[in-house]
Amino acid sequence: MTDVSDAGLRRRATDAPPAIADLLHEATVCEIAEQAWLALVGEDEVLVPLPAPLPADALSSWVEIVGPWTGAVVLTCGRDTALDLTRALLGGHAPAVVEQEDVHDALGELANVVGGNVKAVLPGPSVLGLPEVGTTPPSGREADSVRVALLWRGSPLTVRVQSVLAERENEVPL
Amino acid sequence: MKILVADDSRVMRQIVIRTLRQAGYDDHDIVEAEDGRDAYEKVRSEGPDLVLSDWNMPNMTGLECLQALRGSGSTVPFGFVTSEGSAEMREKAADAGALFLIAKPFTADTFTEHLDGVLA
Repeated sequence: MTDVSDAGLRRRATDAPPAIADLLHEATVCEIAEQAWLALVGEDEVLVPLPAPLPADALSSWVEIVGPWTGAVVLTCGRDTALDLTRALLGGHAPAVVEQEDVHDALGELANVVGGNVKAVLPGPSVLGLPEVGTTPPSGREADSVRVALLWRGSPLTVRVQSVLAERENEVPL
Repeated sequence: MKILVADDSRVMRQIVIRTLRQAGYDDHDIVEAEDGRDAYEKVRSEGPDLVLSDWNMPNMTGLECLQALRGSGSTVPFGFVTSEGSAEMREKAADAGALFLIAKPFTADTFTEHLDGVLA
């Protein structure tokens, strides 16, 4: 954690936007996701850090972080996986037919919890946005991102922490 | 006793309620609110003994709800259950009059630790 903070301070001292890879390690993202799964999805629900191709009909949820580092935390998985996650999160309260609204709610809340914990290890002060869900997450700089590939119940999902696109950095705040 | 659970995520409200049961608070009435404004109104209409509120919600945040409640003279015990547990957030919560801040993800033990003093 000390290294993370030091890296952020050095970057700010030069007024250069911090690169996410200097602020956050893949292992930290994995650990945050694992803790979220164990606490929210179920105490036996482990995430295995193994890469596997995402299905074509993927769904994403994301939260934006605005501060000394600005970007988004994006969770992506297949629609079937999102449905299974929703059932697991609802536990005994899961209805026979899970509505799309519940799937978006569940996937958004997982991104919110992972994003909130990622925010906590990044330099602050910063602001966390409300979770959003869709098939097209915000574009980010691929080169300036930390991405972890995981398996949950054998199905692939990814967590990506990505800086905003360069053009958005030039926007003048209102 | 009555507990008001405020979160804009229905799924998260279910998880909080399930965790309350797991922590042994299964004989309390639960009231749900879907954002800070709804929580503010339900504190007035339902008179809960404790509010467990998310922080980041549309319409009115949990912090704004707490500030509005204290501004109106309400002293209802209020705790945050939020995905953000930084020192800065905890300080803001305490300054506004919150009893505690439980960071998501949480466990039943975390609930017991913070709620026993309030609900015992």
